Amino acid sequence: MDNRFDVELIAVSKRYGTALAVDDISLRIPAASYCCLLGPSGCGKTTTLRMIAGHEAISSGDILIRGQNVSDLPPITRGTAMMFQSYALFPHLSCLDNVAFSLKMRGVGKAERHAKAREFLGLVQMTDFAQRLPAQLSGGQQQRVALARALIMRPKVLLLDEPLSALDPFLRIKVREELKRLQRELGITFIHVTHSQDEAMAMADIMVVMQDGHIRQAGSPREVFERPVSPFIARFIGSHNVLNGPDGTIAVRADRCRLGTPGDGPFVTGRVTAVEYQGAMVRVAMATDPGSEAAALVPDHEFYAKPVAPGDPATLIWAARDAHIMPDY
Amino acid sequence: MSSTTSLGQLEVPVNRKRLAIPHFRFPTWAVSWLQVGPLMLILSVLFALPTILFLVVSFFDYDRIGIYPAFILDNYHDLLTTPSTWRVYLSSLKFAVIVWGITLFLGFNIAYFLVFHIRSNMLRTVLFLACAIPFWTSGIIRAIAWIPFLGRNGAFNQILMALGVTSRPLEFLLFSDFAVIVTYVHLFTLLMIGPIANSLAKIDRSLIEAALDAGASRWATMTNVIVPLSKTGIALGSLLVFTQVMGDYFVVKTMSGGQSASIVSMLSTEITAMQYPPASANAMVLVVFVAIMVACMMRVVDVRKELVK
Amino acid sequence: MIVGGPSRAGAVTDKRPWTFYALGTLFAAYMAFLYGPMLVIYLLSFQGENGGVTFPMVGTSLTWFSDIVKPGQMANIPVSFSRSIGLASLVSVLTVVFSVAAGLGFRRRFPGSGIVFYLAVASLVMPSLLVGFGIGLGFQFLGWETSLFTSALGAQLTWTLPFGLFAMFAVVNRFNRSWEEAAADLGASAFQRLRHVTLPILLPGILGVAMGAFTLSYDEYARTTLTIGQHNTLPLEIYALISSATSPTLFAIGTLTTGGSFVAIGVTLVLVVRMQRRRTAASLKVG
Repeated sequence: MDNRFDVELIAVSKRYGTALAVDDISLRIPAASYCCLLGPSGCGKTTTLRMIAGHEAISSGDILIRGQNVSDLPPITRGTAMMFQSYALFPHLSCLDNVAFSLKMRGVGKAERHAKAREFLGLVQMTDFAQRLPAQLSGGQQQRVALARALIMRPKVLLLDEPLSALDPFLRIKVREELKRLQRELGITFIHVTHSQDEAMAMADIMVVMQDGHIRQAGSPREVFERPVSPFIARFIGSHNVLNGPDGTIAVRADRCRLGTPGDGPFVTGRVTAVEYQGAMVRVAMATDPGSEAAALVPDHEFYAKPVAPGDPATLIWAARDAHIMPDY
Repeated sequence: MSSTTSLGQLEVPVNRKRLAIPHFRFPTWAVSWLQVGPLMLILSVLFALPTILFLVVSFFDYDRIGIYPAFILDNYHDLLTTPSTWRVYLSSLKFAVIVWGITLFLGFNIAYFLVFHIRSNMLRTVLFLACAIPFWTSGIIRAIAWIPFLGRNGAFNQILMALGVTSRPLEFLLFSDFAVIVTYVHLFTLLMIGPIANSLAKIDRSLIEAALDAGASRWATMTNVIVPLSKTGIALGSLLVFTQVMGDYFVVKTMSGGQSASIVSMLSTEITAMQYPPASANAMVLVVFVAIMVACMMRVVDVRKELVK
Repeated sequence: MIVGGPSRAGAVTDKRPWTFYALGTLFAAYMAFLYGPMLVIYLLSFQGENGGVTFPMVGTSLTWFSDIVKPGQMANIPVSFSRSIGLASLVSVLTVVFSVAAGLGFRRRFPGSGIVFYLAVASLVMPSLLVGFGIGLGFQFLGWETSLFTSALGAQLTWTLPFGLFAMFAVVNRFNRSWEEAAADLGASAFQRLRHVTLPILLPGILGVAMGAFTLSYDEYARTTLTIGQHNTLPLEIYALISSATSPTLFAIGTLTTGGSFVAIGVTLVLVVRMQRRRTAASLKVG
């Protein structure tokens, strides 16, 4: 048994009739890591998560959890727990009963399971709400209860389906930190599905970018950001310019680009189309003469030293070593 | 931590163990059939079979003494060539169409009022209940309630005379076509309000705002957006009202004072006389008629999709 | 939500448009139309001893109410009433069990679901007397006696089951599949899921179906009349009364049964509303 990996996907596919939602993907997630599945809508990330959970049958391939083949097993025996996008708290049960549910199913006595449930409600700072019904809680509070309900099962892998999408921006950042902290403390693997690249980069130890049912790139956030393997990844991650270079298509980080005069290094000419003030940085978008789009992320003091306006001609310059070559595209 | 993974170049580990026990999953269609089974059984035995029985018996021969298994078309022939049959059918149809028109008008407007003009959910529920509660009193009692109301000495006439609208009681109110129609409307308007309100409530409000945004007047919004989207409710309500009127037995008998007959009362006379074959033929004709109605409604709207979603 | 609407000038206001008043008046008129005759019944049930079935009222009395329980009348009210209650209870229970099961079955597309659906529709719209006739005929051919708890029960079920089924469609549609998946995730077996999650959440809807089936059965006349056999249920007794006797006793019965319906429906409603409110409260959310 290979103890290095908590979750392994081996040539997993999911077919709906003739349509392939997930196409022959393979992945190894190391033990106790925070893994984010990232991609646009319809890329297959949620389907993959649900196959790992056991809520979706696998059309072909195998899934291993801590070395054990779980492909045919029902959800409860896999050692996974899922946090649903809608939280799916039972509306007719109090928070305490919601959290204690899995213990009740296993036949644990009332006193014991209530005590345990209170313990886990404490873990998510929701003890005061033990007797409330889900309808009486805010979104953030419901999520914490859902988390407690999942964790009480002591899962080997926690699966989260877009946990932050329903939260407002401030809460989102707070919960992000909490989830990360929790994962560290518990020492288990979290698999987190999201369509927000900022979220994935901030949280993941390993980031898996999916598109059309395939895994396009999997690696640490730094790796994906600095060395995207395809134009799709570069554009999806954001803050990259995809341009044609002498050796093929290249990706350059927007913050490594400047507006200036052509020197020894590579450059491309064009016209400014938009100027966006972003606080610490200013984003200057331009239409290049060869006919594509590019942008430069300029520190604010630099921009305001020599500001430009939409319509002005401009030249984008960058250092050759900052260009990442994608030879196959 | 070495975190990178490969992209499909993964060598399949040789020692992975597949589950030894083959996992049996009960096919989902079997589960559904198990759940639907009892209902299906009851409806087949108690509804489908008797209908087939009609069909068979309608071809039987009969005389004063009893009925004899046969295959003759006489019953249908007699039925379709007797003028009184046509008269009764036309009369019922006439009632059905008139009642349908009135209940549609009333039902749609009231449903619209409740769904779109009442702002508070609580009030809407209360008002809807107010419409529905009379439905829970027996239809018979509600029908006969009209007798003291519409009669010569009835409350309505007394009110009219007290208000000075007429000097003599109106005779036509009771035991007439008017009374029959009034009673039908009284009994069946709810059958329109319910389904139509249901359909109206499902309309996405932003569609209406989009129409207004595009310059549609309130009337144009009604005809172009709201009415088409409430087709299902209207069709369902219409079907219910039509079949209830065509299949009515009691109201016509009581409220028309014997001036009109209904199809079903014709039937019941034959049943009482134990003349099952002609009664069955009569029943079959009515069944066919109802089936045509249902088919027409299905053409207008896919009820299955709407209801089961 | 059409709260206000464009005024003549075109701007949206919060004032009620004229259609509100027009429709409101129509609604009020409809209410009067609906309840007018009912009020007549209630009034006339207190008709004086010497009064008849129409106005004028000759004093007031409770004789007609007491007449109901007097035996030896053309009709036997208390007995038929208890028969009605018994039958309605049984019909209600069976309808709930079968239509809830069927409603759950319809959550997925299965082969033959169309047949079941259209069979239910047909059973619903078929004129009631025909159904009663068919069953009565069938029983006669088989040489069986029609009776309360066999043929009458069956006839009423052909009416209540389709209603129950369609009501369950609406209820089940609002049911979120995630709850069942979450239950499975947390280790509930299929039976446990049903018992601890699915049924409790559907309970308000189920109660509604039970109540609906009960009242449908209780008031049912046409399907029952040919399948009842010797002993009448209440609606049939009432019908016999109408044809034979003409006294305000009838109205007294009407008042009582309406009152009874009110109470029964009211209780069910309060229960259901309270359950729903606790579960779906849009209460003030903080933090």
